[in-house]
Amino acid sequence: MKIKLNGKHLEVNGNKTILDICKDNGIKIPTLCYHKNLFPEARCRLCLVELNGKLVTSCSTKPIEGCKIVTKTKKILKARKMNMELMSPGISMDKLGNDFEARKIYEEVGLDNERFKPRKNYKVELGDSLVRDNNKCVNCGRCVQVCSKVQEVHAIDFASRAHNEHVTPYCEKTLAGVACIRCGQCLINCPVGAITEVSHLGKVETALKNKKKQVIVQTAPSIRAALGELFDMKTGSLVTGKMVTALRQCGFDKIFDVDLGADMTIMEESAELVRRIKSNETLPLITTCCPAWILMMEQSFPELIPNMSTCKSPHEMLGALIKSYYAKKAGIDSKDIIVVSIMPCVAKKFESTRPELYTDVDYVLTTRELGRLIKKRNIDFANLPDSEFDPTLGISTGAGDIFGTAGGVMEAALRTTYEVVTKKKLKKVEFKNLHEFKGIKEGSIKLRNKTIRYACANGGANIRELLKHKDDYDFIEMMACPGGCIGGGGQPIYFDDETLKLRSKALYKQDSKKELRKSHENPIVKEIYKKCLGEPGSKKAKKFLHTKYKKRSCF
Amino acid sequence: MQVLRETNLQGLALAKKLGKKGTLELLAKRGLVGRGGASFPTHKKWERALSVKTNERFLICNADEGEPGTFKDKFLIKNNSETLIEGILIAAFVLDAKRCFIYLRAEYDSLRLELEKIIKKVLKKSKMKVSIEIVRGAGAYVCGEETAIIQSIMGRRGQPMEKPPYPTIKGLWGKPTVLNNVTTLTCVPQALLYEDWNPNYRLFSISGEVEHPGVYEWELGVKMSTILGTVKPKGKMKAMSFGCFGGIMPVYKSNRVSPALICDKNCHHGAYSLIFVGEKKNIVDVNLSMAKFYTYESCGKCTPCREGTIRLVELLKKIKSGQATNKDLKLLKELANHIQETSLCGLGASCGNHILTGMKNFKKDYKGFIKKK
Ligand code: SF4
Ligand code: SF4
Ligand code: SF4
Ligand code: FES
Repeated sequence: MKIKLNGKHLEVNGNKTILDICKDNGIKIPTLCYHKNLFPEARCRLCLVELNGKLVTSCSTKPIEGCKIVTKTKKILKARKMNMELMSPGISMDKLGNDFEARKIYEEVGLDNERFKPRKNYKVELGDSLVRDNNKCVNCGRCVQVCSKVQEVHAIDFASRAHNEHVTPYCEKTLAGVACIRCGQCLINCPVGAITEVSHLGKVETALKNKKKQVIVQTAPSIRAALGELFDMKTGSLVTGKMVTALRQCGFDKIFDVDLGADMTIMEESAELVRRIKSNETLPLITTCCPAWILMMEQSFPELIPNMSTCKSPHEMLGALIKSYYAKKAGIDSKDIIVVSIMPCVAKKFESTRPELYTDVDYVLTTRELGRLIKKRNIDFANLPDSEFDPTLGISTGAGDIFGTAGGVMEAALRTTYEVVTKKKLKKVEFKNLHEFKGIKEGSIKLRNKTIRYACANGGANIRELLKHKDDYDFIEMMACPGGCIGGGGQPIYFDDETLKLRSKALYKQDSKKELRKSHENPIVKEIYKKCLGEPGSKKAKKFLHTKYKKRSCF
Repeated sequence: MQVLRETNLQGLALAKKLGKKGTLELLAKRGLVGRGGASFPTHKKWERALSVKTNERFLICNADEGEPGTFKDKFLIKNNSETLIEGILIAAFVLDAKRCFIYLRAEYDSLRLELEKIIKKVLKKSKMKVSIEIVRGAGAYVCGEETAIIQSIMGRRGQPMEKPPYPTIKGLWGKPTVLNNVTTLTCVPQALLYEDWNPNYRLFSISGEVEHPGVYEWELGVKMSTILGTVKPKGKMKAMSFGCFGGIMPVYKSNRVSPALICDKNCHHGAYSLIFVGEKKNIVDVNLSMAKFYTYESCGKCTPCREGTIRLVELLKKIKSGQATNKDLKLLKELANHIQETSLCGLGASCGNHILTGMKNFKKDYKGFIKKK
């Protein structure tokens, strides 16, 4: 259709919104409630433009044939400012960190008046993983939409009307009191930081000062592909070496790699799969690396408990090994060891409070918290030299690296299972069908006389979808966050699918560069089994590396 | 009253005889337009829904009358509901709607049992295979808004959605849905059946400081003096307010009441609810009480209306307390205008009218409170 945009005659696709048309034509319009992956509810009213002289929200409005659109008039700028002013008493812009989207918008729209006083007086909700401060909330509705549409958890929604409208877990409970899975996707999508993680940073800093304790840090696979973003490095930069250097400069005594825990997980899970197939036990076997998925299962699908692998998540496995295998090897009392996990995930904070697990890992920091720690220490991260993990528990394979991206656990497991069962070498190490950026992926592989049908889902809605057909498969990987851990609730904020693709690509690159790409080839894994655990699935392995689940109420 | 004439299913019989097209043509000829406020021709609305190819269409009768000073739907449901149900059946016939809903204001629950009986009775007589369900509103004024009703009937939070898509194209469960209000649907069989049916009659809800408040029927353009003569004001009148969002203005005997009078050119609410305000009242008080209404009835979805309405109340309170300056007056006007221009739905778009017209027409009342430096 023909339109006139800022005086220029254009031929445009009438099915696009005015916002998209403007973007195509290099015109920037401030948006707050809008998010590419969500339905434009047009709540914030910042993206105003004039359509034939009338103010409309560009994110939700499509052009009409022959219309005149202008994007920058006094009237528009004034109206945007007024809406910013109306919502800002909550945000307190001056205190808003640079991480948040609203900061940029605030700078774009500007605010030269502050005629209204803060009026909200909500109690801040301090949870086990997330903190919700409704006083900062600007009712953009993104968290609500993400939770209900992308994650299909429906833990939070708006309640009340008019100026009392506020976000709340259902029945005005706390997140811990509802079926929230602690995925933190609401946090990631909140433009003003009204939802944040429960910080363990203070406790970690105190621990670092304690000379009597040996503070050991372990970093999850997906951190290395995202941490650089916090220091203005290109999205998708791999910063493994710099990260290790920075951690050492922060004062951690030992730096281990959760990738190794991932390799251990694969050994155990693969053995479990083979055992279940051989002795006709419950199938499909479902992975358990993602604590948000575990919570979802316990709350909404407890009938799946027999299907769940009993393996602990990789960092919990490594935590257990640190406090047993490593402690013994280094001759330290495990009580003098503090284990800190750097995780892409807020659900891991909840996981570390589970009574059956809490001894393994003491504190969990998100990628963002680590970024804060590094900034606090004035470390010039982008220019750090590389260094290596501590070798005792720091050698890992490419299979561990790809744990951080959706489909990676499955791929790693298949690599090992195939070679262990068939005693043959894989012709192609990579399972390209699992590298695609898709919500649900599937495939099959032949192991001797049995075909294993496998599938992976990432994002809550896709998990629910896949579960409808679960009986078509033998082995299923579930990740609660879109894209897997690279899109976790603890990762640097601001991301769209492009960011996720780049982070994922970085992990696949790291894998492809490694000499060792299969978990069973990892020399440390071999040593741990030889010296300590016996073999995968042994009694001792069960004691240290496996766990159990229970049904939970949604109320 | 024309709107109380009964039709005894003769309107429906005629519609079936004329067929869908014939019925639409006759409605067009008789000049029936929506009584909710937008005055959109009824046949056109139905035609729009018919233009969508689908296996299902819905009809919603909007009986969520929540505007202060408006009570004509209640009057009609009490006094001529058989004709209303017949109107619904005619619409269902034309639209091929198998499920119809009456979205009944929560506070009108006392009318529900009686209405249910009448629905059963008329349905039985008509022998049509249509269901008419009464859905009780949850008490939100904003659910008088078309898209909010739809959300509410689907069991979602009653908040308006951006239009387009219009409900006639994509409404309940994504299917074309026609929303007509009680008066419009009651008029349908009457307009079809009676050749002398006058399209210009409107129902007026009269309240405030008058001897005879109630529902009246007058022709558009009726003289103020006629209205005053009938309802008998108690003493001298200072102002009349057209509901909450039509605006407030002085009472001139020679005025003729028409949409143009109520809200200038961009009139979107011809609900014809007149609230009379006596001369002892201060308009700032009147505006404040209306502004309070909106601070509780805004749905809270969009920034200007959610955040703005509460600030309007703050400002009006400040003015009343004598602490305000001209700057505050300016802000009040700016804000009222801003909410109107940038809100998502009709509620926000009209919630400043009473203040803007109050400030314009009753300057003295406002100035009287302003602090002199
Ligand atoms: S953490 Fe996840 S499940 Fe919980 S409220 Fe946020 S989005 Fe919903
Ligand atoms: S908590 Fe954040 S994402 Fe949720 S509505 Fe408020 S501002 Fe938006
Ligand atoms: S204008 Fe008011 S009532 Fe309408 S959507 Fe916005 S907040 Fe809700
Ligand atoms: S970005 Fe368009 S209304 Fe919020």
